[in-house]
Amino acid sequence: MRRKLFLFVALFSLLAFNLTPVSADGGIEIGQKIENFTLTGIDGKEHSFSSLMGTNGAVLVWVSAQCPVVKAYNDRINAIAAEYEARGIRFIGINSNATESLEWVTSDAKEVGYKFPVLIDKGNVLADKLGATVTPEVYFVNKEGVLLYHGAIDNDRSGKNIQDHYLKTAFDAALGGKAIEKTRTNAFGCTIKRAGMAGE
Amino acid sequence: MKRRLTFRSIAGAIAFGWLFASLFAADAQGQRRNTAQPAPAAGPKVEKIDEKRFAELLKPNGKPLLINFWATWCEPCREEFPDLVKIDAEYKGKIDFITISLDFEDEIATTVPKFLVEMKATMPTFLLVTADETAAIQMVSKDWAGALPFTVIYAPDGTMSYFRQGIVKHDVLQAELYKLLKPTR
Repeated sequence: MRRKLFLFVALFSLLAFNLTPVSADGGIEIGQKIENFTLTGIDGKEHSFSSLMGTNGAVLVWVSAQCPVVKAYNDRINAIAAEYEARGIRFIGINSNATESLEWVTSDAKEVGYKFPVLIDKGNVLADKLGATVTPEVYFVNKEGVLLYHGAIDNDRSGKNIQDHYLKTAFDAALGGKAIEKTRTNAFGCTIKRAGMAGE
Repeated sequence: MKRRLTFRSIAGAIAFGWLFASLFAADAQGQRRNTAQPAPAAGPKVEKIDEKRFAELLKPNGKPLLINFWATWCEPCREEFPDLVKIDAEYKGKIDFITISLDFEDEIATTVPKFLVEMKATMPTFLLVTADETAAIQMVSKDWAGALPFTVIYAPDGTMSYFRQGIVKHDVLQAELYKLLKPTR
């Protein structure tokens, strides 16, 4: 009886695991809703996603204190944030790197001059849930939390030859009530150093 | 008049002499520079590639194909590189092994070859420059968001037999390559 029960549980778990809908990259897909979550910010306070939501949506930006690609993007991130926060799109920085201490992330955010909250994703729970793997990586949602755009900020890490402003284009389309042409992009960047893979 | 002429002649001669001496000195210095300075160290040449060449490089040529995507700005990439150099030495002739750098284009003749020299790396290295990284990344794998390092092995028939985002371990690569190289009965 015990053996049968064990087999049943094992089979059920296997089926349940295999039938759980996941996107190709193991996270959320365009059109799906990001459920509310709460994380502690570098200010030491708890912040819920819903409390940070802008009148026209929000963008989660995966950042890093050590990633040179994020460093190359920081001025652009700040400029886009200033431009679009004024139009109701809230920027929220997320740091999921297990290798970066709170002190380091805090001093980096201060130095870089982020004007938006930076939240610590301890144990990379949010990164796992949404499938974030690289920095910088952005998730743009409408005010209902539905994912509209996921991927890169633009097509050029160096910033010298930007031909496609993916994120700004997505913002402009959404703000203008138009369909976003490119909803999913990729770009080379730094791996998010997840808990357990620190030191890898 | 005669005095003025003499003065002019002397001044002219001095000026001519100074000019001649300067030219001679510069030439001699140039020759010294040419002979004394050795040619740049024969470091590995890094070839710049576009999307088209990139697509060609992803196709195996009768042997297992190992590709490592990296950048000098990527700390884990630098960390794993000695193991990759070891793999290159161990499997020379048995597999094709290339690395693709995602460094900035202006580092193609500086930082990238300098690092390869430091690592004593001899595998062919390419630097991808593309305006559409999304397309390039998806050419490799739909499950890859672009995080570095990334290592992939293609079987000779072109199917992907292994990929790893993050640091790859030497023994893991050995095991994966063994699967493709073991004698078939």
